[in-house]
Amino acid sequence: MSLETGPGFRSVVTLVVLAGSAAVAVLASVMLGSVRLAPAEVLAVFSGHGSDLARMLVLDLRLPRTLAAFATGGLLAVAGALMQVLLRNPLADPYVLGISGGAAVGALLAMIAGLGLGWVSGSAFAGAMLSTLIVFGLAHGTGSWTPTRLLLTGVVVAAGWGAVITFLLAVRPSPELPGMLYWLMGDLAQARGSGLPWLTLLVVVLLALPLGRSLNVLARGPMQAAVLGVSVYRLEWAVYLLAAVVTAAAVTTAGTVGFVGLIVPHMLRLVIGNDQRLLIPAAALAGGILLTLADTVARTVIAPQQLPVGVITAMLGVPLFLFLLYRSRT
Amino acid sequence: MTRGIPLTNRLALPLALAALGVLPWIGLSAEPERIDPDAAVIDDRGREVYGSGRPERIISLAPHLTELLFAIGAGERIIATVEHADHPAQARSLPRIGSAVQLDLERIVALDPQLVIAWASGNPRAQMERLEALGLKVYYSEPTDFAGIARDLRRLGQITGTMHSAEAAAAAFEREIGDLRARYSGRAPITVFYQVWDPPLMTVNDRHLIGEALQLCGGTNVFGDLKALVPRPGREAVLAANPEVIVTGGPGEDRADWLEPWRAWTGLTAVQRDNLFFIPPSLIQRPTPRIAEGTGLLCDALEQARLRRPEPDR
Repeated sequence: MSLETGPGFRSVVTLVVLAGSAAVAVLASVMLGSVRLAPAEVLAVFSGHGSDLARMLVLDLRLPRTLAAFATGGLLAVAGALMQVLLRNPLADPYVLGISGGAAVGALLAMIAGLGLGWVSGSAFAGAMLSTLIVFGLAHGTGSWTPTRLLLTGVVVAAGWGAVITFLLAVRPSPELPGMLYWLMGDLAQARGSGLPWLTLLVVVLLALPLGRSLNVLARGPMQAAVLGVSVYRLEWAVYLLAAVVTAAAVTTAGTVGFVGLIVPHMLRLVIGNDQRLLIPAAALAGGILLTLADTVARTVIAPQQLPVGVITAMLGVPLFLFLLYRSRT
Repeated sequence: MTRGIPLTNRLALPLALAALGVLPWIGLSAEPERIDPDAAVIDDRGREVYGSGRPERIISLAPHLTELLFAIGAGERIIATVEHADHPAQARSLPRIGSAVQLDLERIVALDPQLVIAWASGNPRAQMERLEALGLKVYYSEPTDFAGIARDLRRLGQITGTMHSAEAAAAAFEREIGDLRARYSGRAPITVFYQVWDPPLMTVNDRHLIGEALQLCGGTNVFGDLKALVPRPGREAVLAANPEVIVTGGPGEDRADWLEPWRAWTGLTAVQRDNLFFIPPSLIQRPTPRIAEGTGLLCDALEQARLRRPEPDR
């Protein structure tokens, strides 16, 4: 645990290994699909050749989806890491404070109103941010705020959103219902571009890096942080807002992909320790790798039938996480 | 292939709901069609789609659309369709490109179709947007009533270059429906509960295609006035409405088990007179020409129920 020694040789090695794996994952995702393309054909596309069909499959279908998957996975893992530090609770995930519920209600209302897909995305993002403000405002309340209070407020607000979703689906079964169910399970077939998630991911990792030392202190508890001269209140505000924006961007892109945000930060802690300066960029890469691979499996394993990616993230991640947890005890 | 995947089961209800054409969100126009092979065909989303003679490679993205294409004689040019496209028999051997609610875009693109017939309310919008952006020619269909089925048969005939056989199919369908209407719509009104699903208990209102079939047979839908296209009444509401007839499509083609629970309610008029009827769901719950056959069965059922009334009410 190199809490005080700063990012050293080990950190560099970790990030290089992860970056290499990320490249492999992206390459695999572009190479594989329900239509078989020889690796040479895919490489030909990137060198500016290749048949029209290969170009269409690789550049118009696989690459945009791969990029969206990678950015979404990275966002969720970073959001999870931030939430776990903020709430000092190992069970915290990006959705624990009701952000996904707010986004789902926003998206659902836009669908019921018959608005276009751009509006659905915008409405989802607005719902996520509204939920963020409600939870923080209520948890802040009279001024005394603790992680427990924030967590409880978030969980209850999330339950409220859940009820609204169920209500809307019950009284207004729209033709979008199957799509909405896939959305709630997390589905990258609905991703419509990766500009927003990539921009958010880059900005948030760059913002989180200088906060790393303060986050390390905060992770040990607010009292120690205050004693050590960290402005706890402002830091917690910043972390909360960052995590909220990150989650909103992820949810807007691919719906509520479960599991990545909870498990990836924990897996990394088991392997590389709990230094936030390393953990956050590593989470961005590892989350991206997991979701990219999961989505590749989701679109190919029982093709032509397509699975929502949320199913696969859990199937891939659960055994991996349990293995790491088991090993860490012995 | 679909079996053993719990997800598919979880999606069975939403799929069935979507297949019922819940909440049509497109405006439908009723003006007469010109038949001109070079003119644009207006699809059910109000888009202009230009025909290109006789497309040889067609992909159909819903079971009922596959049926419509076979009905107009364009079935042998379908190169792929979705899961659950099971009618006519030739449709079962067609290659699959996913399910109607989750398409495999790669395979669709790789098959290089000249025309994609899509289901406006059922296919995922984001995926359809991507296909259109890739330059595929997409025609959206969404028949929501008898007139819509006939109209879509003609329009599909125009866009696939089979206008004559399409006209014949549409005219035959209109004739069958017209005959049924002439024969039954003036019969003594009889109250009916049509059960779409259970659980939750679901029915249709008067604006639904099945609601239209009930009216044609001289039936009075006990939940016809409800606002939702596919309302979910409680069992109490059905008991209170005390329909003379209960009709269901059931979860499968030969499974009438949804009718059994009603037999426990011996106070219901429908139960006392044994007016519990089953109609194979594919004949009445799909917007295809076969609904004429399903409507015929429905009218027969209501006619039987009329004969079981006490003498003076027949």
